[in-house]
Amino acid sequence: MIIADHLVLTRQGRPILDKVSLRLVPGRFTVVIGPNGAGKSTLLKLISGDIKPDSGHILYGDEDISRLKPRQLAERRAVLPQSTSLSFPFTALEVVRMGAIAAGSLKPCEDARTALARVGLAALEARAYQALSGGEQQRVQFARVLAQLPTPVNEAGPRALFLDEPTSSLDLTHQISVLEIAREFAAAGGMVMAVLHDLNLAAEFADSLLILKGGRAIAEGPPQTIIRDDIITSVYGLSGTVGRIPQTTPFVLPQSRHPAPASAI
Amino acid sequence: MRLSSRLTCPDRSGLPRLVLAFFGFALLSSTVVRAADSQPEAHRIVSVGGTVTEILYDLGAGDRIVAVDSTSFYPPEAAKKPNVGYMRRLSAEGILAQTPDLILTEAGSGPPDALAVLAQSGIRLINIAEPPAAETVGARIRAIGAAIGKTSEADALAGKADDDLAKLKADLAHLPPERKRVMFVLSIANGRIMAAGKETAADAMIRLAGATNALADSTGYKPLSDEAVIAAAPDVILTMDQGAAPVKAEDVFALPALAASPAAKQKAFVSMDSLYLLGFGPRTADAARELASRLYPEAAIR
Amino acid sequence: MSIAIDIAQQPARGDRSQQGALALALLSALLVAACLISLTSGPTGVGLRDLVSYLAGSLLSGHQTLSKQDLIVLEAVRLPRTLLGLLVGAGLGLSGAMMQGLFRNPLADPGIVGVTSGASLAAVAAIVLGPTLLLPLQTALGAQFLPLMAFAGALINTGLLYRIATRGGQTSTVALVLSGISIGALTMAATGLLIFLADDRALRDITFWSLGSLGGATYGKALSIAPFILAALALLPFLARGLDALVLGDAAAFHMGIPVERLKRISVLVVAGACGASVAVAGSIAFVGIIVPHLLRLAIGPSHRFLLPGAALGGASLLLLADSIARTVAAPAELPIGIITALIGAPVFLLLLLGRGGRGLID
Repeated sequence: MIIADHLVLTRQGRPILDKVSLRLVPGRFTVVIGPNGAGKSTLLKLISGDIKPDSGHILYGDEDISRLKPRQLAERRAVLPQSTSLSFPFTALEVVRMGAIAAGSLKPCEDARTALARVGLAALEARAYQALSGGEQQRVQFARVLAQLPTPVNEAGPRALFLDEPTSSLDLTHQISVLEIAREFAAAGGMVMAVLHDLNLAAEFADSLLILKGGRAIAEGPPQTIIRDDIITSVYGLSGTVGRIPQTTPFVLPQSRHPAPASAI
Repeated sequence: MRLSSRLTCPDRSGLPRLVLAFFGFALLSSTVVRAADSQPEAHRIVSVGGTVTEILYDLGAGDRIVAVDSTSFYPPEAAKKPNVGYMRRLSAEGILAQTPDLILTEAGSGPPDALAVLAQSGIRLINIAEPPAAETVGARIRAIGAAIGKTSEADALAGKADDDLAKLKADLAHLPPERKRVMFVLSIANGRIMAAGKETAADAMIRLAGATNALADSTGYKPLSDEAVIAAAPDVILTMDQGAAPVKAEDVFALPALAASPAAKQKAFVSMDSLYLLGFGPRTADAARELASRLYPEAAIR
Repeated sequence: MSIAIDIAQQPARGDRSQQGALALALLSALLVAACLISLTSGPTGVGLRDLVSYLAGSLLSGHQTLSKQDLIVLEAVRLPRTLLGLLVGAGLGLSGAMMQGLFRNPLADPGIVGVTSGASLAAVAAIVLGPTLLLPLQTALGAQFLPLMAFAGALINTGLLYRIATRGGQTSTVALVLSGISIGALTMAATGLLIFLADDRALRDITFWSLGSLGGATYGKALSIAPFILAALALLPFLARGLDALVLGDAAAFHMGIPVERLKRISVLVVAGACGASVAVAGSIAFVGIIVPHLLRLAIGPSHRFLLPGAALGGASLLLLADSIARTVAAPAELPIGIITALIGAPVFLLLLLGRGGRGLID
């Protein structure tokens, strides 16, 4: 389990995150959503170890994250960034191979091929990364991340997958497949934290949802409970958008909106 | 040092004076060449340094030279010999390839590692340690003569050189007390005048020829500001005549800083060969004499 | 998007290890050939037969049949020179590859971190001020004065740059470049001032020093560079993996377990040491640090586990071949080696740039 407790981050006097807490539980797919500038990516960067909070602490199991060396962290978690550009012409396979090396694999090329196949890009292994489309590049990065965490759980415990807006350059098919692979990862005992901007994907895939606005946690819980009209109104300023499909999964249709009463925002 | 105090004591008899003279001479020549360093039978000499080469030719040993450095271009036959590089950047293997039996070097030759390798190879290396200057011409000639087994020719040549210098000094004593102000111009590239201040070979030569250096304040070769040049007010411009782009009179006097100088008014411009003028070899006295005669045409020095 | 090599034309293998290994094998063979050429070229005519005889004598029979002069040429001139050329070339090639990896830019060269400008300033100071202001130091250190000054200058300058560009334990590569430019301007001004104060002898010495030369090579000089090359080779797995990951960005490299700041520090240290020592003993030699890694990257791709050793092998070969040319083309004089490397390097670079229809080197 990864515990982030009362994280505070201020930059140039502005509070980016104000006492936000989050738990990543094995088997659970956690999604963080919110409008721009809510602090979602910052929260992910803090929990994955990129930046240090001004106050609050982060525990990986029993250990404080600041005591973990990069190598140790890499064995416990992997991060899929929003986008990555390269200035040297690596092939797709070579990029994914780096993830396998990070996992300490003894047959990195084989493991890289497996990961590429999982994201459906086995045929492009020899293509230069820079020659791929934005979506293909993102999937190659995902393969790299998967290669870094070949199993959701290892001897040290459950491992965490961090996805920072993974769907931005992907078409619908691949948005779904990436999130489905992540869900399989969680189902097999791993932890997943994804920052999404698409409310409907969040509603479908999240086991636990955290809504941020202006650096504060507005609501936390299963999507069925917290994707409600009043919360969506207060966070996004749009009313009447939330509906439900028969299996009780809420959906959000912006088309059905009407202006929100001023008091609700 | 004890010796110097002895030299100031009055002598009591002729013998101590002789002993003293011997020690004195040994001391002097030991600063120039180690007494044991000579290779009289050397017939494959590598000569490094323009004046060393020139002296070798003057001593009649020119045909014993197999290679020279890039600063040895007098006499013209010397320049035709194989070239082992610039004297401060010699090529050890290049010199070894000439299979020399003696290497004569002028003061300042290098690099030290190359010389060390050459010494290691068992080839005799003799360094003429005194830097080129008017006062050391005789000593250097004698050192080279000792090195190649031509001591009597060297004595004669050195004696003549010293005599020439003494005679020159005497002749120049008759010059009027107001000496000409001479500026040695090295280059005028980009309109900046690079001229010789104190502690340069040119400065020494100017003084030897009975003139004064117009640039009394600077040291070494420096690019000068226009105002410094105007303040110097040279009577004569002196340059070297060597290389692809020699400094020309019309170019020099066209420069605004010099256009109003006394030299420009008289069109007083002297150009002489570089090694001749600044080499401080056996022709030193001749060069100084020629320079003086061109500086003071009315004095009829010849 | 255009790419430097259309890898898709090869059988669809994304893994270029085979090409990489082949390239390393070829480069090793090239280095051996370059060593042989270096040991057998020169104005004295000591050739392959003499070399074989020398080796037979040293290793087998225990006595030598060569003349004393030929022995001197081989042992005191050619062997140390070949060894020095090998180490300097390897150091320059390796440093170029590391800098290009660190800055994620195929045009980076070791000069960016201030090695060359620092070494040059210190060397010029040694040449100009040695006989005057620094005379006690010069007399104390003797022949090691200039190399030690140059080396110290390289380290101090690089250290200064690194300090400036590091805030809160994080080194920004952009800041490194920018501070390099500004400190570089300062060192250039200081060097210019020293040149202004220089006399005739010093000016000549500065000119030749700045053109580079392996002349006067000794085992001692070679030994001064060896530790840095050996350190780099010992750290090769760490450096290769780290520099590969760094191409994805500082954050991604960190995510994959690379201690990014330590990697940067070690890289700069190794480069400062290897290049500083190279410049100290051989003057500034152009082009090797840029050309060799770049050519190699075009041939076998950017994987540092082949690029780093390949750059070392290639740099060593290039320098040895250039030095052999420098020693023979104007015999018995020697050309400064910087001229030869530039004369070889620049046209090759231009050909590559133009030959691929202009897209060639732009990745």
